Amino acid sequence: MQEFDHIEALWASHTVDVKISSDEMLKQAKKEVNNMRTKSLLNIGGMVFSFLVIASLWFFNFESWTTHIGITILLIAIAVYTVILYNNYRIIAKSDFTINPKEFIAQLKLYQLNRHRLYNQLYWFYAIALSLGMALYFFELLAHLSPWVQILLVVLSFGWIIFCSTLVRKAVIKRDKERIALLIEKFERISEQFTEQQ
Amino acid sequence: MNQKDVLFKEIFDKNSKKIFHLCYGYTGDKDSANDLLQETFLKVWQNLDKFRNKSLISTWIYRIAVNTCLTYLRSEKRQAKDELTENIIENKIEEFSEKNEQVALLYKSISKLEENDRLIITMVLDELPYNEIADISGISEGNLRVKIHRIKQKLTELYNQHARI
Repeated sequence: MQEFDHIEALWASHTVDVKISSDEMLKQAKKEVNNMRTKSLLNIGGMVFSFLVIASLWFFNFESWTTHIGITILLIAIAVYTVILYNNYRIIAKSDFTINPKEFIAQLKLYQLNRHRLYNQLYWFYAIALSLGMALYFFELLAHLSPWVQILLVVLSFGWIIFCSTLVRKAVIKRDKERIALLIEKFERISEQFTEQQ
Repeated sequence: MNQKDVLFKEIFDKNSKKIFHLCYGYTGDKDSANDLLQETFLKVWQNLDKFRNKSLISTWIYRIAVNTCLTYLRSEKRQAKDELTENIIENKIEEFSEKNEQVALLYKSISKLEENDRLIITMVLDELPYNEIADISGISEGNLRVKIHRIKQKLTELYNQHARI
Protein backbone atom coordinates (compact mmCIF):
# COMPACT_ATOMS: atom_id res chain seq x y z
CA MET A 1 0.00 0.00 0.00
CA GLN A 2 1.61 3.26 -1.14
CA GLU A 3 0.96 6.77 0.12
CA PHE A 4 0.87 9.99 -1.91
CA ASP A 5 4.47 10.73 -0.79
CA HIS A 6 5.61 7.76 -2.86
CA ILE A 7 3.80 9.14 -5.91
CA GLU A 8 5.42 12.53 -5.42
CA ALA A 9 8.87 10.96 -5.09
CA LEU A 10 8.31 8.81 -8.17
CA TRP A 11 7.17 11.83 -10.18
CA ALA A 12 10.14 13.92 -9.07
CA SER A 13 12.61 11.18 -10.02
CA HIS A 14 11.29 10.52 -13.52
CA THR A 15 12.51 12.35 -16.58
CA VAL A 16 10.89 12.87 -19.95
CA ASP A 17 12.39 13.55 -23.33
CA VAL A 18 11.02 16.51 -25.19
CA LYS A 19 11.55 15.46 -28.79
CA ILE A 20 11.84 18.95 -30.21
CA SER A 21 14.54 21.55 -29.48
CA SER A 22 13.87 25.27 -29.05
CA ASP A 23 15.53 25.96 -32.41
CA GLU A 24 13.32 23.48 -34.24
CA MET A 25 10.22 24.77 -32.44
CA LEU A 26 11.04 28.35 -33.40
CA LYS A 27 11.57 27.35 -37.02
CA GLN A 28 8.29 25.41 -37.10
CA ALA A 29 6.30 28.18 -35.41
CA LYS A 30 7.55 30.77 -37.88
CA LYS A 31 6.76 28.49 -40.82
CA GLU A 32 3.19 27.82 -39.65
CA VAL A 33 2.41 31.47 -38.95
CA ASN A 34 3.89 32.53 -42.28
CA ASN A 35 1.79 29.90 -44.09
CA MET A 36 -1.40 31.26 -42.54
CA ARG A 37 -0.46 34.83 -43.40
CA THR A 38 0.52 33.89 -46.95
CA LYS A 39 -2.78 32.09 -47.51
CA SER A 40 -4.92 35.05 -46.49
CA LEU A 41 -2.67 37.49 -48.34
CA LEU A 42 -2.87 35.37 -51.49
CA ASN A 43 -6.64 35.46 -51.27
CA ILE A 44 -6.72 39.24 -51.05
CA GLY A 45 -3.76 39.59 -53.44
CA GLY A 46 -5.63 37.60 -56.08
CA MET A 47 -8.53 40.03 -55.91
CA VAL A 48 -6.21 43.06 -56.11
CA PHE A 49 -4.47 41.48 -59.10
CA SER A 50 -7.81 40.99 -60.90
CA PHE A 51 -8.65 44.63 -60.14
CA LEU A 52 -5.39 45.84 -61.67
CA VAL A 53 -5.71 43.61 -64.75
CA ILE A 54 -9.23 44.89 -65.46
CA ALA A 55 -8.23 48.50 -64.73
CA SER A 56 -5.38 48.15 -67.25
CA LEU A 57 -7.99 47.58 -69.98
CA TRP A 58 -8.45 51.34 -69.99
CA PHE A 59 -5.07 51.65 -71.71
CA PHE A 60 -6.79 50.42 -74.88
CA ASN A 61 -8.82 52.87 -76.88
CA PHE A 62 -12.45 52.02 -76.51
CA GLU A 63 -15.05 54.01 -78.37
CA SER A 64 -18.33 52.86 -76.86
CA TRP A 65 -19.58 54.20 -73.52
CA THR A 66 -20.86 50.69 -72.71
CA THR A 67 -17.28 49.42 -72.45
CA HIS A 68 -16.32 52.10 -69.93
CA ILE A 69 -19.43 51.47 -67.85
CA GLY A 70 -18.79 47.71 -68.04
CA ILE A 71 -15.20 48.07 -66.80
CA THR A 72 -16.32 50.46 -64.03
CA ILE A 73 -18.97 48.02 -62.80
CA LEU A 74 -16.46 45.16 -62.80
CA LEU A 75 -13.94 47.22 -60.85
CA ILE A 76 -16.48 48.39 -58.27
CA ALA A 77 -17.74 44.82 -57.73
CA ILE A 78 -14.22 43.46 -57.23
CA ALA A 79 -13.20 46.35 -54.96
CA VAL A 80 -16.27 46.02 -52.73
CA TYR A 81 -15.84 42.26 -52.43
CA THR A 82 -12.13 42.63 -51.60
CA VAL A 83 -12.89 45.14 -48.83
CA ILE A 84 -15.51 42.79 -47.39
CA LEU A 85 -13.03 39.88 -47.50
CA TYR A 86 -10.38 41.98 -45.78
CA ASN A 87 -12.77 43.16 -43.06
CA ASN A 88 -13.79 39.57 -42.36
CA TYR A 89 -10.16 38.56 -42.10
CA ARG A 90 -9.54 41.38 -39.62
CA ILE A 91 -12.40 40.20 -37.38
CA ILE A 92 -10.73 36.83 -36.90
CA ALA A 93 -7.17 38.16 -36.76
CA LYS A 94 -7.65 40.76 -34.03
CA SER A 95 -9.12 38.46 -31.36
CA ASP A 96 -7.12 36.19 -29.11
CA PHE A 97 -8.75 33.33 -27.24
CA THR A 98 -6.18 33.31 -24.45
CA ILE A 99 -7.00 36.89 -23.44
CA ASN A 100 -10.77 37.05 -23.64
CA PRO A 101 -12.51 33.75 -24.51
CA LYS A 102 -16.04 35.22 -24.52
CA GLU A 103 -15.11 38.02 -26.89
CA PHE A 104 -13.29 35.56 -29.12
CA ILE A 105 -16.34 33.29 -29.36
CA ALA A 106 -18.57 36.31 -30.10
CA GLN A 107 -16.18 37.42 -32.86
CA LEU A 108 -16.08 33.90 -34.25
CA LYS A 109 -19.88 33.83 -34.44
CA LEU A 110 -19.88 37.23 -36.14
CA TYR A 111 -17.29 35.94 -38.60
CA GLN A 112 -19.44 32.87 -39.31
CA LEU A 113 -22.48 35.06 -39.95
CA ASN A 114 -20.52 37.41 -42.20
CA ARG A 115 -19.07 34.52 -44.21
CA HIS A 116 -22.58 33.11 -44.62
CA ARG A 117 -23.82 36.46 -45.92
CA LEU A 118 -20.79 36.82 -48.14
CA TYR A 119 -21.49 33.53 -49.92
CA ASN A 120 -25.26 33.94 -50.03
CA GLN A 121 -26.98 37.31 -50.54
CA LEU A 122 -23.80 39.28 -51.27
CA TYR A 123 -22.47 36.67 -53.68
CA TRP A 124 -25.48 37.08 -55.95
CA PHE A 125 -24.97 40.87 -56.07
CA TYR A 126 -21.36 40.18 -56.95
CA ALA A 127 -22.24 37.61 -59.64
CA ILE A 128 -24.94 39.88 -61.15
CA ALA A 129 -22.58 42.87 -61.14
CA LEU A 130 -19.84 40.82 -62.83
CA SER A 131 -22.26 39.49 -65.45
CA LEU A 132 -23.65 42.95 -66.17
CA GLY A 133 -20.15 44.45 -66.34
CA MET A 134 -18.98 41.73 -68.71
CA ALA A 135 -22.07 42.01 -70.91
CA LEU A 136 -21.51 45.75 -71.31
CA TYR A 137 -17.79 45.24 -71.91
CA PHE A 138 -18.35 42.54 -74.55
CA PHE A 139 -20.82 44.79 -76.42
CA GLU A 140 -18.02 46.68 -78.21
CA LEU A 141 -15.33 44.02 -78.06
CA LEU A 142 -17.32 41.23 -79.70
CA ALA A 143 -18.26 43.39 -82.67
CA HIS A 144 -14.66 43.09 -83.91
CA LEU A 145 -14.50 39.30 -83.59
CA SER A 146 -15.74 36.39 -85.72
CA PRO A 147 -19.06 34.74 -84.66
CA TRP A 148 -17.34 31.55 -83.42
CA VAL A 149 -14.94 33.47 -81.21
CA GLN A 150 -17.86 35.56 -79.99
CA ILE A 151 -19.79 32.42 -78.96
CA LEU A 152 -16.69 30.86 -77.38
CA LEU A 153 -15.92 33.98 -75.31
CA VAL A 154 -19.51 34.37 -74.10
CA VAL A 155 -19.89 30.66 -73.25
CA LEU A 156 -16.55 30.49 -71.45
CA SER A 157 -17.07 33.69 -69.46
CA PHE A 158 -20.63 33.07 -68.35
CA GLY A 159 -19.95 29.35 -67.93
CA TRP A 160 -17.18 30.22 -65.50
CA ILE A 161 -19.49 32.53 -63.51
CA ILE A 162 -22.16 29.83 -63.36
CA PHE A 163 -19.59 27.21 -62.29
CA CYS A 164 -18.30 29.48 -59.47
CA SER A 165 -21.82 30.45 -58.38
CA THR A 166 -23.03 26.88 -58.09
CA LEU A 167 -20.48 24.11 -57.49
CA VAL A 168 -17.58 26.16 -56.10
CA ARG A 169 -19.82 28.34 -53.94
CA LYS A 170 -21.61 25.32 -52.43
CA ALA A 171 -18.33 23.56 -51.65
CA VAL A 172 -16.88 26.68 -50.02
CA ILE A 173 -20.03 27.28 -47.95
CA LYS A 174 -20.00 23.65 -46.73
CA ARG A 175 -16.30 23.67 -45.85
CA ASP A 176 -16.51 27.04 -44.14
CA LYS A 177 -19.60 26.11 -42.15
CA GLU A 178 -18.05 22.90 -40.82
CA ARG A 179 -14.70 24.50 -40.02
CA ILE A 180 -16.12 27.50 -38.14
CA ALA A 181 -18.82 25.47 -36.37
CA LEU A 182 -16.14 23.09 -35.08
CA LEU A 183 -14.06 26.02 -33.85
CA ILE A 184 -17.03 27.58 -32.06
CA GLU A 185 -17.97 24.24 -30.52
CA LYS A 186 -14.42 23.68 -29.28
CA PHE A 187 -14.07 27.08 -27.67
CA GLU A 188 -17.54 27.07 -26.16
CA ARG A 189 -16.80 23.72 -24.58
CA ILE A 190 -13.59 24.98 -23.05
CA SER A 191 -15.29 28.12 -21.76
CA GLU A 192 -18.03 26.00 -20.19
CA GLN A 193 -15.47 23.82 -18.46
CA PHE A 194 -13.88 26.80 -16.82
CA THR A 195 -17.21 28.32 -15.88
CA GLU A 196 -18.30 25.05 -14.28
CA GLN A 197 -15.26 25.09 -12.06
CA GLN A 198 -15.85 28.54 -10.63
CA MET B 1 18.19 36.54 -34.31
CA ASN B 2 15.77 39.21 -33.08
CA GLN B 3 14.56 39.85 -29.54
CA LYS B 4 11.31 37.93 -30.00
CA ASP B 5 13.20 34.83 -31.22
CA VAL B 6 15.57 34.93 -28.24
CA LEU B 7 12.68 35.41 -25.80
CA PHE B 8 10.73 32.53 -27.37
CA LYS B 9 13.68 30.16 -27.14
CA GLU B 10 14.26 31.13 -23.52
CA ILE B 11 10.56 30.57 -22.73
CA PHE B 12 10.63 27.19 -24.50
CA ASP B 13 13.74 26.00 -22.68
CA LYS B 14 12.35 27.06 -19.30
CA ASN B 15 8.83 25.69 -19.69
CA SER B 16 8.80 22.86 -22.24
CA LYS B 17 9.46 20.00 -19.78
CA LYS B 18 6.69 21.04 -17.43
CA ILE B 19 4.27 21.60 -20.29
CA PHE B 20 5.22 18.18 -21.63
CA HIS B 21 4.45 16.65 -18.20
CA LEU B 22 1.05 18.33 -18.28
CA CYS B 23 0.28 17.05 -21.78
CA TYR B 24 1.64 13.57 -21.02
CA GLY B 25 -0.35 13.40 -17.79
CA TYR B 26 -3.44 14.44 -19.69
CA THR B 27 -3.13 12.09 -22.67
CA GLY B 28 -1.05 9.26 -21.20
CA ASP B 29 0.69 9.08 -24.57
CA LYS B 30 4.11 10.49 -25.46
CA ASP B 31 3.38 11.13 -29.14
CA SER B 32 0.13 12.98 -28.44
CA ALA B 33 1.92 14.88 -25.67
CA ASN B 34 4.56 15.98 -28.17
CA ASP B 35 1.86 17.13 -30.61
CA LEU B 36 0.15 19.08 -27.85
CA LEU B 37 3.43 20.61 -26.72
CA GLN B 38 4.11 21.86 -30.23
CA GLU B 39 0.55 23.18 -30.65
CA THR B 40 0.89 25.03 -27.33
CA PHE B 41 4.16 26.69 -28.26
CA LEU B 42 2.85 27.55 -31.71
CA LYS B 43 0.08 29.52 -29.96
CA VAL B 44 2.66 31.04 -27.62
CA TRP B 45 4.65 32.27 -30.62
CA GLN B 46 1.54 33.62 -32.35
CA ASN B 47 0.39 35.54 -29.28
CA LEU B 48 3.68 36.54 -27.71
CA ASP B 49 3.30 40.14 -28.85
CA LYS B 50 -0.12 40.32 -27.21
CA PHE B 51 1.07 39.00 -23.85
CA ARG B 52 0.53 41.67 -21.22
CA ASN B 53 2.44 41.26 -17.98
CA LYS B 54 -0.78 40.95 -15.98
CA SER B 55 0.19 37.42 -14.94
CA LEU B 56 3.37 35.36 -14.89
CA ILE B 57 4.38 34.19 -18.33
CA SER B 58 4.44 30.59 -17.04
CA THR B 59 0.81 30.98 -15.91
CA TRP B 60 -0.13 32.28 -19.33
CA ILE B 61 1.63 29.37 -21.07
CA TYR B 62 0.01 26.85 -18.74
CA ARG B 63 -3.39 28.35 -19.51
CA ILE B 64 -2.75 27.97 -23.24
CA ALA B 65 -1.57 24.38 -22.66
CA VAL B 66 -4.64 23.55 -20.56
CA ASN B 67 -6.93 24.93 -23.28
CA THR B 68 -5.02 23.04 -25.94
CA CYS B 69 -5.26 19.77 -23.99
CA LEU B 70 -8.98 20.16 -23.33
CA THR B 71 -9.62 20.89 -26.99
CA TYR B 72 -7.46 18.07 -28.28
CA LEU B 73 -8.95 14.75 -27.18
CA ARG B 74 -12.58 15.75 -27.42
CA SER B 75 -12.50 17.50 -30.75
CA GLU B 76 -10.56 14.78 -32.47
CA LYS B 77 -13.37 12.36 -31.64
CA ARG B 78 -10.85 9.83 -30.50
CA GLN B 79 -11.47 6.55 -28.81
CA ALA B 80 -12.67 6.54 -25.23
CA LYS B 81 -9.81 7.80 -23.12
CA ASP B 82 -9.57 4.65 -20.98
CA GLU B 83 -9.15 2.43 -23.99
CA LEU B 84 -6.71 4.81 -25.58
CA THR B 85 -4.41 5.36 -22.66
CA GLU B 86 -4.41 1.70 -21.63
CA ASN B 87 -3.40 0.57 -25.10
CA ILE B 88 -0.78 3.19 -25.53
CA ILE B 89 0.76 2.93 -22.12
CA GLU B 90 0.87 -0.84 -22.31
CA ASN B 91 2.39 -0.84 -25.78
CA LYS B 92 4.92 1.88 -25.35
CA ILE B 93 6.93 1.05 -22.28
CA GLU B 94 10.38 0.88 -23.73
CA GLU B 95 12.38 -0.41 -20.82
CA PHE B 96 10.79 -2.82 -18.44
CA SER B 97 12.59 -1.68 -15.33
CA GLU B 98 10.67 -1.56 -12.09
CA LYS B 99 10.80 2.22 -12.02
CA ASN B 100 9.56 2.57 -15.59
CA GLU B 101 6.73 0.25 -14.76
CA GLN B 102 5.81 2.37 -11.75
CA VAL B 103 5.94 5.56 -13.83
CA ALA B 104 3.73 3.99 -16.50
CA LEU B 105 1.35 2.92 -13.77
CA LEU B 106 1.29 6.45 -12.41
CA TYR B 107 0.45 7.94 -15.80
CA LYS B 108 -2.21 5.27 -16.25
CA SER B 109 -3.70 6.18 -12.87
CA ILE B 110 -3.65 9.90 -13.73
CA SER B 111 -5.44 9.17 -17.00
CA LYS B 112 -8.31 7.61 -15.02
CA LEU B 113 -9.04 10.90 -13.27
CA GLU B 114 -11.53 13.51 -14.51
CA GLU B 115 -10.13 15.74 -17.28
CA ASN B 116 -9.65 18.84 -15.15
CA ASP B 117 -8.38 16.82 -12.20
CA ARG B 118 -5.68 15.31 -14.41
CA LEU B 119 -4.41 18.76 -15.29
CA ILE B 120 -4.54 20.02 -11.70
CA ILE B 121 -2.67 17.04 -10.22
CA THR B 122 0.05 17.29 -12.87
CA MET B 123 0.63 20.89 -11.88
CA VAL B 124 0.65 19.90 -8.19
CA LEU B 125 3.20 17.17 -8.86
CA ASP B 126 5.31 19.69 -10.76
CA GLU B 127 5.22 21.85 -7.62
CA LEU B 128 3.47 24.87 -9.07
CA PRO B 129 2.39 27.29 -6.32
CA TYR B 130 -1.29 26.92 -5.41
CA ASN B 131 -2.09 30.52 -6.29
CA GLU B 132 -0.74 29.93 -9.80
CA ILE B 133 -2.76 26.71 -10.23
CA ALA B 134 -5.85 28.57 -9.00
CA ASP B 135 -5.19 31.30 -11.56
CA ILE B 136 -4.70 28.83 -14.42
CA SER B 137 -7.72 26.67 -13.63
CA GLY B 138 -10.03 29.52 -12.64
CA ILE B 139 -10.87 28.14 -9.18
CA SER B 140 -10.58 30.04 -5.90
CA GLU B 141 -7.57 29.03 -3.80
CA GLY B 142 -9.83 27.76 -0.99
CA ASN B 143 -11.79 25.51 -3.31
CA LEU B 144 -8.60 24.39 -4.99
CA ARG B 145 -7.08 23.14 -1.71
CA VAL B 146 -10.16 21.01 -1.04
CA LYS B 147 -10.15 19.75 -4.62
CA ILE B 148 -6.45 18.89 -4.53
CA HIS B 149 -6.89 16.96 -1.29
CA ARG B 150 -9.64 14.92 -2.91
CA ILE B 151 -7.64 14.34 -6.12
CA LYS B 152 -4.60 13.18 -4.14
CA GLN B 153 -6.74 10.61 -2.31
CA LYS B 154 -8.33 9.45 -5.54
CA LEU B 155 -4.99 9.15 -7.33
CA THR B 156 -3.40 7.20 -4.46
CA GLU B 157 -6.39 4.88 -4.46
CA LEU B 158 -6.18 4.34 -8.23
CA TYR B 159 -2.42 3.83 -8.12
CA ASN B 160 -2.74 1.20 -5.39
CA GLN B 161 -5.57 -0.52 -7.23
CA HIS B 162 -3.49 -0.79 -10.40
CA ALA B 163 -0.40 -1.84 -8.46
CA ARG B 164 -2.29 -4.79 -7.01
CA ILE B 165 -3.42 -6.07 -10.44
